[in-house]
Amino acid sequence: MKMEEEYRMVIVGVGGQGILTISDIIAIAAQKKGLRVLGSEVHGMAQKGGSVVTNLKIGKNLHSPTIPVGCSKALIGLEENETLRYMKYLEPSGVAITSKTVLYPIIWKKDNNAAVLAHEKIDENLSKFDARIIRIDAEKLAAEAGLALAQNIVLLGALSQIEDFPLTVEELRNALKTRVPSKYIETNVKAFELGIEAMKKDN
Amino acid sequence: MVSLKDLIENEEKRVLVLGNEAIARGAIEAGVQVFAAYPGTPSSEISMALITAAPELGFYAEWSTNEKVSMEVAYAASISGVRSMIACKHVGLNVAADVFYSAMYMGCKGGFVTVVGDDPHCFSSQNEQDSRWLGVSANFPILEPSSPQEAKEFTKMAFEISEKFEIPLLLRTTTRISHARADVQFNKFETTYRDGELEKSPRFKCLPGIARANHPKLLEKNETIKEWIPESGLTRIEGPEDNQFGIITSGISYSYVKDALRMLDADIPILKLGIVSPLDEKSIIKFAKSKENIIFIEEVDPYLEDRISALLVQNEITPKIHGKCNGVTKRYHELNAYLVAKGLESLFGSKIADFKDIEAAVTKTEEYIPFRPPLFCAGCQHRAAFYELSKVVKKNNGIFASDIGCYSLDPWVSDTIVCMGASIGMASGFSRVIKDKPIFAIIGDSTFFHTGLPALANAVYNKANFNLLVLDNRMTAMTGFQPNPTEDIPIENVAKGLGVEYIDIFDPYDFEKGKKTIEEALKHKGPTVIIMRKICANEYWRRTRRKGEKIEVYHTNPEVCIACGTCIVRYQCPAISWSIDTNSKGKQYTVIDPSTCTGCSVCSQICPTGAISKVES
Repeated sequence: MKMEEEYRMVIVGVGGQGILTISDIIAIAAQKKGLRVLGSEVHGMAQKGGSVVTNLKIGKNLHSPTIPVGCSKALIGLEENETLRYMKYLEPSGVAITSKTVLYPIIWKKDNNAAVLAHEKIDENLSKFDARIIRIDAEKLAAEAGLALAQNIVLLGALSQIEDFPLTVEELRNALKTRVPSKYIETNVKAFELGIEAMKKDN
Repeated sequence: MVSLKDLIENEEKRVLVLGNEAIARGAIEAGVQVFAAYPGTPSSEISMALITAAPELGFYAEWSTNEKVSMEVAYAASISGVRSMIACKHVGLNVAADVFYSAMYMGCKGGFVTVVGDDPHCFSSQNEQDSRWLGVSANFPILEPSSPQEAKEFTKMAFEISEKFEIPLLLRTTTRISHARADVQFNKFETTYRDGELEKSPRFKCLPGIARANHPKLLEKNETIKEWIPESGLTRIEGPEDNQFGIITSGISYSYVKDALRMLDADIPILKLGIVSPLDEKSIIKFAKSKENIIFIEEVDPYLEDRISALLVQNEITPKIHGKCNGVTKRYHELNAYLVAKGLESLFGSKIADFKDIEAAVTKTEEYIPFRPPLFCAGCQHRAAFYELSKVVKKNNGIFASDIGCYSLDPWVSDTIVCMGASIGMASGFSRVIKDKPIFAIIGDSTFFHTGLPALANAVYNKANFNLLVLDNRMTAMTGFQPNPTEDIPIENVAKGLGVEYIDIFDPYDFEKGKKTIEEALKHKGPTVIIMRKICANEYWRRTRRKGEKIEVYHTNPEVCIACGTCIVRYQCPAISWSIDTNSKGKQYTVIDPSTCTGCSVCSQICPTGAISKVES
């Protein structure tokens, strides 16, 4: 497949987890670097606690806004079951960075056994796909940074450590600072740094 | 959301925006002076941007009660000589159809643009309608952009073309253009807003004699436009000249073709149509003449395929036709680069990767992946209303006609959902044939004003016996909390004015009163109107936080909770989950997330053991 003029990623999770914020920060950093940006977002009905997937491409020569199954280089997952749902979007050589967070959908609130089983099997299930998988305790690290909501930013930090990711830590950090409210910059940057550290440990 | 500053600043710059915001900027650069719209996904952000920009720039923009009204408002402005625009979703265009089928005959003066957002794949819609058919049957010239940048440029061009030929224009986008985010080049603009003037002439009266004379004039305009397209730059031919294959495409499908050809490493001529009606016959014939195979790539309907195939036959050009007719692409759901590449590979004798390993992994893991549908938000007053209703409806074995809005998410009682305002008409119809069960209609405040009003007048006049429940959450919440007439026009006054005899109002958080009110309404001959009034919980939460006030949240006493599941499993409030640890009896209990609880109190009312109470501050 010859699509090397662009870097393709999907960001997945549950509506309300800050998915659009991550894609925004990456887009801001890419634009600043002089790269083109093209993504596809979910608005409307699907946002209300439903499963959400956002597509984002950065590069020089971009055409379609969506990423087909098997074509994404990176996946950022804010909830581990949503990561599993969208693993199919990754290239066999791609990388998934997923939070260990679990958010219970209504059917699991009715049937806790299914939730327990899925959680026990998550490692095994994720590894059925060829792509590389990095699991991060984003909930813990965000709390450590002092901002429970910043789980998405922890994962953004981790993303910056992916080998062929086209944006640098510095570029992402600067974009992060322009995107989050000024009183939360410090805690967000801290969450970002903790994500970077977690990746370094993982490697 | 794009910032207001970026949206309106008169500068050359690149800005990260949604396709819809690019359309709004295009309208601003074109000097739109009157804008009117009813919200609808995937078009709403166009309207939100323009309605926010209007007071800053000094033009007029409004949320109209429905698409038909919005088009009338904008059309009047256009025939008075000023540039005007509406935006709606595909099914909204149907509501406006009564206006434009006649307005097309009469033409316009100031540039008049209708933006329609189609929704292939039904991301937030009830069908996959391809609005190009509606446009062409009314003789609209139709522009189809293929990227956010083009969406902006085409919007500007639409005003110019409309003015040049005195004809209303249709700009058709789809969800993947409207909700694409991209860096888009904004340009400087020069606009002068001015008062309109209506030239007194019979032209704008669609009386039979005048319409009869206007129809051939409209067709003539389309002929003139057809001749003009090649010089407009809206048609583009790419790729090598000499090839047995040629692809004809437009809109978002063009972007899929470009990526698909890259996947296939193929260099095939592409004819990209920027205007899909009238057809650029000259360019199409020239392109197709030398080809043995013409491939049509488009989403959902074979619009280009059917029309251009006919055109080629009429001109005795007979390439082999590929497209929907032989399954290159399917006739439903959206496309993507891979689906297009897969459709093309056998034609070109090439092979792209398949994903057998991925498919196998999906098969092995999918049973563990939970279904996660969108739900009512925490504290949603609709959940409370439906929970109360479900008890009464089920007890009485009632028939329940619902409508379009957040409340379409009801998991308990709705029997039918058809289109905007249909609840009332459907309930009227059920009441004619189902005599032994109570009939209910439920409608939101915005939908009530959209198309519920004429249906309610009909029900009163024809004495239909049903109970109308109005969920008045003070705004059009589903599409992004837009304001609507319920702010200023009390629905009970409307019902009274229409002659409804039994009207009652209650707060859907008040469970006991709610049940009694509905039971009481059932004793009266309909139509009765029961209004459930409570501000959208989402908006309440936001406003309270913005004011710096505290939200009084609730919590569970672990020792009193018996883990019966009433609040979690039956009431389904997303703020409530099971505990990780257990209480002293070794049992799990419920936990309320204080960051999402809106303090509605409903869980504390329905808890059978009184385990839930307000957190004392």
